[in-house]
Amino acid sequence: MSDVQKRVVTIPEIATVVEVKDEIQDVKTFYLKFDNPEVDANFKIKSGQFVMLTVFGYGESAISLPPSPENDRFHLSVRKVGKVTDALHNLVAGDKVGIRGPFGNGFPFEEIKGKNIIYVAGGIGLIPLRSSIVHVLQNRKDFGRIIVLLGARTPDDLMYQNDIEEWLKIEGFECYVTVDQKTEGWKGETGYVNSLIEKANVPVENTVAFVCGPPVMFNSVIGDLMSRGLKDDCIISTLERHMKCGIGKCQHCAIGRTLVCTDGPVYTYKQIKTLGEVI
Amino acid sequence: MYLIEKNNVMKLAEELAKSYSLYGPVTDKETKQVFFNKVASASEISLTAEIPSIPPKTVVFPQIERILEYKYDKGSKKVEMNADFDTSSKALFGIRPCDLTGILVLDRFFMGLEFVDDVYLEHRKRMFIVSNTCTVPFKQCFCVCTDSGPVAEEGYDLNLTDLGDVYLVEAGSDKGREFAEKMGLQKAGPEHTLEKKNAVDKSISLFEKLATDNKAWISRVMNRVTTGFIKEEVWEHIGKQCFECGACTFVCPTCSCFNVEDHNKFSGSTDRLRTWDSCSFEGYTKMAGDHNPRHPVEDRRNKRFFCKLSYSQSKKYLRPGCVGCGRCQWVCPGDIGLPNVVTYIRREITE
Ligand code: SF4
Ligand code: SF4
Repeated sequence: MSDVQKRVVTIPEIATVVEVKDEIQDVKTFYLKFDNPEVDANFKIKSGQFVMLTVFGYGESAISLPPSPENDRFHLSVRKVGKVTDALHNLVAGDKVGIRGPFGNGFPFEEIKGKNIIYVAGGIGLIPLRSSIVHVLQNRKDFGRIIVLLGARTPDDLMYQNDIEEWLKIEGFECYVTVDQKTEGWKGETGYVNSLIEKANVPVENTVAFVCGPPVMFNSVIGDLMSRGLKDDCIISTLERHMKCGIGKCQHCAIGRTLVCTDGPVYTYKQIKTLGEVI
Repeated sequence: MYLIEKNNVMKLAEELAKSYSLYGPVTDKETKQVFFNKVASASEISLTAEIPSIPPKTVVFPQIERILEYKYDKGSKKVEMNADFDTSSKALFGIRPCDLTGILVLDRFFMGLEFVDDVYLEHRKRMFIVSNTCTVPFKQCFCVCTDSGPVAEEGYDLNLTDLGDVYLVEAGSDKGREFAEKMGLQKAGPEHTLEKKNAVDKSISLFEKLATDNKAWISRVMNRVTTGFIKEEVWEHIGKQCFECGACTFVCPTCSCFNVEDHNKFSGSTDRLRTWDSCSFEGYTKMAGDHNPRHPVEDRRNKRFFCKLSYSQSKKYLRPGCVGCGRCQWVCPGDIGLPNVVTYIRREITE
């Protein structure tokens, strides 16, 4: 037993909040930097992974990683939904947090090279997809069409608007946006995100779709994509579950025979179908 | 292999107590319940006590354990962090084979998978284990059906078997052998091996009355649980009888679900506590914002038996998750301990 030498995973690394940005209502982005320069230099992630974030005095929570694995500032975009995230929202630049991770399997990258990529996001579902979108765009030439279909309740609920403007400068990046309810001055589409599938005339051959959003949206988008002929193993999503450890031990995130923290959080729809629990 | 006179066997524990914190089965004077506790003196330990009501997993996985202490000063933005692992050396004296198997299951789970749980590792690193063969089974035991008894096959430093006037002492590790040599134990001969075999065979034969046929169905039931060939009604029937008290998971030597909470203290520092949790509690999978993906109670019950009896879990443990101690059967107010669940499923298979 003494030859077991793996990394210590229960003690958080300390990081400093360097900047806080308001995104949309109840969502803020926190730019972070590890206090230990060695940790900061060696912190490597994969798109689709998550970290366990400690807000000192409040506890720990699993948070998905929006930054690209290449050349991106380390940041987390977090919606205020409970004790830990409420407390996080009160933090300002200079405050400290704890980080463990990254954990989880992550989105495929090598496997999807050469394909058309569709991202369908509802509301803050764009947060976990951002990492992959940026990564794919950073390697634009390796992919076919890159399409983002984005839905939100109102124009004020659209995540990462500045990012999207930046991405639109990249040749061959297609982005379609719709809102459920328009507000004054909104000139774009209204309606559910499904309607964009038709509008964008999304391809199904040699195509992979990443879908992330609230359950109702998720199920109907998947129905539409599949009825166009996309196979269930070409549809990829990331699941969120309550987690206490992130390393496959506490069992809070167990769904049937899978653990979201170590087997997931990224699954194909083909796998999700067999899990037998609500999304 | 060595021998030790019965009235000298506690000398082993006394010697161990010099370099280890000593744990063993002790009978509570008032309630007569047996616990596997830390003892101040070897004389408190009884090698003939029944299997403890709470398994010795408490030593490697305590019910409440502080895994981190930190202090964050918001003014100066300073964080002090102190990993608070229990690094003491522990000797478990007189652990029963089922409970030892339980610890081996926890070992594989906490240390054998992708991530090593460093809190658990610290408990296990410097441990000395003396197991105790069950020459007579206790009332709810069915370890013979789950391949975890009545005699320990692995994982011990020393194993004791009661041979009447003497204990046969087998070394299972170099550490155990060195210890036995240091104690100057008398060597055992082939006749003692035979005596041990007879004692074990006799013990197994006594299970026939206890472990009635339903328990021998475990492998068939495992097959069904794994392949999903169990009707929803059966899980519903089982689920309806569950009070969600969590007792079964707390007394199970292989149940290891836990919760983590940060507790602020008056001193201004915070304790990060790991506490036992149970998949039968309704709030178990509840997420922030009150979304709870696993609703009905039968789903939660189903989860526990799945964990004990499916092949996908067995792959993690390298054996079934149930070690046949029968404790969940003693404690369950709904009468759906694992043996009964096996019965329900078996009935469905035969009908
Ligand atoms: S499931 Fe029940 S009988 Fe099996 S090891 Fe756990 S407590 Fe003992
Ligand atoms: S002991 Fe019985 S009633 Fe209590 S949680 Fe376990 S199965 Fe349910």
